[in-house]
Amino acid sequence: MPEKPIASAAGQTIIQMENVSVEYRVPQEQIGTFKEYMIRLVQGKVKHRIFNALNGVSLSVDQGEVFGLIGQNGAGKSTLLKLVARVLRPTHGRVLVMGHVAPLLEVGAGFHPELTGRENVFLNGAMLGFSHDEMEEKFPRIVEFSELGDFIDAPLRTYSSGMSARLGFAVATDSQPDILIVDEILSVGDEAFQHKSFECIQSIKAKGATILLVSHTMSTIETICQRAAWLHHGKIVSVGNSIEVVDRYLGRIYDEETKHLIEKSHRGFHPQEGKDSIEISQVKILNQQNNEQLIFHTGEPMQVQIEYRARQPIDSLEIGFAIHRQDGVHITGPNTAFDGLEIKAEPGSGGVVYSIPSLSLLEGLYNVTVALVNRDGNIILDYHDRMHSFRVENRGHNVTERYGLMTLSGEWRLL
Amino acid sequence: MKVQPGLSVVYDSTRRGSAVFEELREILNYRHLIWQLVRRDILTRYKRSFLGVAWTMLNPLGMMLVWTIAFSQVFKLSDMPSYPSFVLNGLLAWTFFSQTTTAAMVNLVWGGGLLNRIYIPRVSFALAAVGTGLVNLLLSLVPLVVVMLVTGMPIQWTFIFVPVSILILCAFALGVGLLISTWAVYFPDITEMYQILLTAWMFLTPIMYPEEFLPQAYRVYITSLNPMYHMVKLFRIPIYFGRFPTLMEFLIPLSIAVVVLVIGWVVFARKSDEFAYRI
Repeated sequence: MPEKPIASAAGQTIIQMENVSVEYRVPQEQIGTFKEYMIRLVQGKVKHRIFNALNGVSLSVDQGEVFGLIGQNGAGKSTLLKLVARVLRPTHGRVLVMGHVAPLLEVGAGFHPELTGRENVFLNGAMLGFSHDEMEEKFPRIVEFSELGDFIDAPLRTYSSGMSARLGFAVATDSQPDILIVDEILSVGDEAFQHKSFECIQSIKAKGATILLVSHTMSTIETICQRAAWLHHGKIVSVGNSIEVVDRYLGRIYDEETKHLIEKSHRGFHPQEGKDSIEISQVKILNQQNNEQLIFHTGEPMQVQIEYRARQPIDSLEIGFAIHRQDGVHITGPNTAFDGLEIKAEPGSGGVVYSIPSLSLLEGLYNVTVALVNRDGNIILDYHDRMHSFRVENRGHNVTERYGLMTLSGEWRLL
Repeated sequence: MKVQPGLSVVYDSTRRGSAVFEELREILNYRHLIWQLVRRDILTRYKRSFLGVAWTMLNPLGMMLVWTIAFSQVFKLSDMPSYPSFVLNGLLAWTFFSQTTTAAMVNLVWGGGLLNRIYIPRVSFALAAVGTGLVNLLLSLVPLVVVMLVTGMPIQWTFIFVPVSILILCAFALGVGLLISTWAVYFPDITEMYQILLTAWMFLTPIMYPEEFLPQAYRVYITSLNPMYHMVKLFRIPIYFGRFPTLMEFLIPLSIAVVVLVIGWVVFARKSDEFAYRI
C-alpha cells in the first residue's frame, strides 16, 4: 500500500519512484559449479524462484532533504539505494533521479589500501566521473577538509578507520553531488568521528544537497533526517516525519516484543494439581479499561489482577507481589496484609486486584513475582517467581523524567 | 511528472537505449576512470617490491631463460636462429593474453563492492585490464629488442607493423575477457578452471616450439582452429620473422578478434544489468 508521499513545502522533487518493483531470480537450490549447472540445465532442473526485493514502492524525495530509510535487514533499503545510484534497474515501475549521485565510499569499495591517500583521492574522483584536471582543482580543499595533513601521502593501510572515513567524506563532499548516499557509515568510528560525520552531513546539506541515509540507529535518523520511510519486506509501511516514522517503527518492534512477553508470561503456567490447598490460577496486568496490556508509560494507571483456585478453606490468606527491575533490583512489594485486607478463601475461585493510580516507574523492563501465603505459620502456598513482565516505554508520551528508576511525582516551586 | 526548470532529468530508468551502445557511450564519459584503474593496478602491483616496475621486464626474461634451457635439451634447435628471441616473442603475446583475460575476470568479481554502490560502466574493469596488460607488454618489448640484438637477430623495419598486431591482440583479449568474466559472475569456479585451461592452451599453441615440430597429421587442428595461434603468429611476423604478414595472415586474426570482441561485448552488456544482483 503505497502511501501518498508528503511533499514538503520547499524544494523540488529530486528523486521520484513510481510503483517500483525489483525482482531477483534466485535459484531454488544453491548451484555452485558450472558443471552442476550444465547438468541441471540439460536435465531441465534449473528452477528459479522470484524474490521481490522491492514491491510497488512509490516515493518522492525533495531537494535539500535529509531522508532516512529504516527497516530490518533484508527489508529492501539497500536495494532502494542501488536504484537511486543507477546500479540496479527496476523490474517494474520508474525511477527518476534529477541530479548527480555520489555515494560515500570506504576502504574495500573504491579505496585501495596500498595506494596513498592522494592516489586514492584521484581514483575515487574518477569513479565519481571527474577528470584528472578537475580533481587537481579539488585536491587542496579535500586535503584540508579531511584534516589528514602529511598523511595524505602515506598508504591508506596505515590510516585509522576514522582517517579513511574522513577522506571518503572529503571526496564525497567536494564532488558536490546533488544526492549523497550514506549507507550505515555513521555507525563506525568513535564518538568524535560520529560527531565529525554529523558536521559533514550538515555541511553537505548546507550546500543544498539531498542526502539519502540508511541507518539502524534510530537516534541518528531522528536527529538528522527530516523525513523517513520505513521499509518492510520490500514495501513502504510508513513515510513521513522522521520522528513519527521511527515511533511507528519502534512501536512495531515493541508489538513483537509484547507478543513475546505474553508468550513468556503464559509459559509454565499450568495449574499444578499437586498443590494441596490453593494455587495461583491467573495473573493479569491490566490497563484502566481492564484490558491486558504489557507496555505502559510513566504516570499511566495500572492494575495487577491475581486470581487463585482454592481446594480447602484458608482463614488468613495473604496475597502479594513484587516488582523487580530486569537486573534484579527489588523495587516494591505490596501485599494484602500491609494494607489490612482480610481474605478468607473458600474452596473455589477468587482473586484480588491491586490498582495503581499512576505508575511511577521510568522506562525499562520489569518482572512481577506473585505469592500466596498462609499467615498462620507464614507458609508460602504458591509462588510465581518473576513469571510476569511488563515494560515501561515513554516514547511519544509527555514524560520528561529519565534518570533513575522511578519518579516521585513531586513538584518544584521557587522559594 | 513535470520537470522543473533548473534540474535536468539525469536518469530515467524507463528511458534507455540498447545496453550494448549505452555501455559504449558511457565508457567515453568514464575514460578517466579507466586510466586511474590502470594506474592503480600498475602502482599496487609493484608497490612493495624493491625493483618495482623493472619486474615487468625481468619476468619474461626469466621465463625465456627457463624455456630456453629446458627446450634446448628437448628439441634440436640448431636450425633455428635465436631460439631465445623466438620464445620471448611468443611469450609476450601469450602473457599479455593470459594476464589480461584473468585480470578482467578477477577485477569484476572482486570489484563487486564498488559495482554495488556506484554507477560505473561495467566494462571499465575489463578495459582497465587490457590497459594494464598493454603497459606491461610495451615495457617488455624492451628486453625483447635487447635479446634479439644480443643473439644477433636484426630488427627489421617491419617493426612498424607491431602496433597493428598489438591492437588486434587487444581486441581479442578484451572479447575473451568479457566473455569469461560474464560467466565468472555466475559461476565463481570458472576463475579456477580458466587457469587450468590456460596452461593446456599454452602448450597447444606454438609458443616455445616452432609449428613445424607438430606432427603433420594434426598440425592443422592445433594451428588453424586455435585463435591464439593466429594471434601469436601475427605478433611474431613483424618482429622475429622480420617481414610483413600476407593478406590472409592479417585478415584471419583480424576477423577472429572482431567477431570475438563483438560477441563478448554484446553478451557482457546484455547481462551486465544483472551483475549487481549477483556480485
